[in-house]
Amino acid sequence: MEELDLLKKDWKRNENKFPRVSEQEIYAMLHKNSTSVVKWIFLISIFEFAFFLALTLLLNDNTGTTKMESYLNDYTMIAITIIDYGIMVYFFCQFYINYKKITTTDKVKNLMSSILKTRKSVSNYIFVKISFIVILLIAMFILYFNNEPEMISTRHIAEEKGKVAMLYLVYFAAVTISVAVFAGMVWLFYRLIYGLLLKRLRKNYNELKKIDF
Amino acid sequence: MGSELERSFVQQLQENQNLIHKICRLYTDGEDAHKDLFQEITIQLWKAFPQFRGDSKFTTWAYRVGLNTAITLYRKKTKSINTIEFDGKLHKIDQDEYNYEEEEHIKLLYQAVQQLNDIEKALVFMYLEDKDYSEIAETLGISEVNARVKMNRIKGKLKTILNP
Repeated sequence: MEELDLLKKDWKRNENKFPRVSEQEIYAMLHKNSTSVVKWIFLISIFEFAFFLALTLLLNDNTGTTKMESYLNDYTMIAITIIDYGIMVYFFCQFYINYKKITTTDKVKNLMSSILKTRKSVSNYIFVKISFIVILLIAMFILYFNNEPEMISTRHIAEEKGKVAMLYLVYFAAVTISVAVFAGMVWLFYRLIYGLLLKRLRKNYNELKKIDF
Repeated sequence: MGSELERSFVQQLQENQNLIHKICRLYTDGEDAHKDLFQEITIQLWKAFPQFRGDSKFTTWAYRVGLNTAITLYRKKTKSINTIEFDGKLHKIDQDEYNYEEEEHIKLLYQAVQQLNDIEKALVFMYLEDKDYSEIAETLGISEVNARVKMNRIKGKLKTILNP
């Protein structure tokens, strides 16, 4: 006898032996909070958008940026601001559209793929945003190097001593390291949060893909 | 607060709750986890209920939401899988003889099913529920042929777990 058919026999026999949940208990459940993965992904994603929005607003206001602004003309500043908010709005719309597509009445595989897509749009946002910040940072350091009076005088001293190459090397090494550390930390942070959240989902999704090659 | 809708939902769920219990039975391995998953499926069903138009049966609709929750959305709080696996191994030690009581055999079968992965459990669940391959394929989002192939592999896998 086939193993599973034996199990089926027992499955049917015990169908009605579960402890009954009363209507009152069901009512109570409806008002409890869901702990679903999607809910967490949604909350964290909203937090991410908020965080980067706050960062944009804060950066606009600090003395370092004001100094940088003085090296740039107005048009460049406006362009940077437009690109910055443009990125945010574009990705937020994408995120929202994908999120709306998540429905529990979909096929299992489709549901998984829409969750992963939603997540993907946010991680793309983070990636673009980080790249944008890194590019701005590098531009800032270059501008600082070329325009800041203090920096210029240091360069003159170095030139007199014949150590310009050394100065360039140290300065750019410092810039590279600080940018890399910043980007690395953000990356690690995301790996940790979503690694934990999406591990099981990814595993199951790959399993389904394997079946349906 | 939409009490008419709520009442109709609670009533239908109450009548069909065995379906959810059965999903919990395959996907959890303790009373607490069972209750926890039951609650999560109930919440997800309630959230999806306004879209339920009644053009399919309540149960067919609930299968989808229930399986989706168990496989995709639900986050296990504690991991107690190891104890089950350990248990299974313990039983295997004294099963040199092929003739044991049917009850014991069924217990081992359940333990073997517990060792399958989430997707395989879904296939087994629908098989036990007498669903045909077209429905299994449709629910999971895979082709019917592949569902059939996979099911045969699962049967083989269960045999190996039971008779190593």
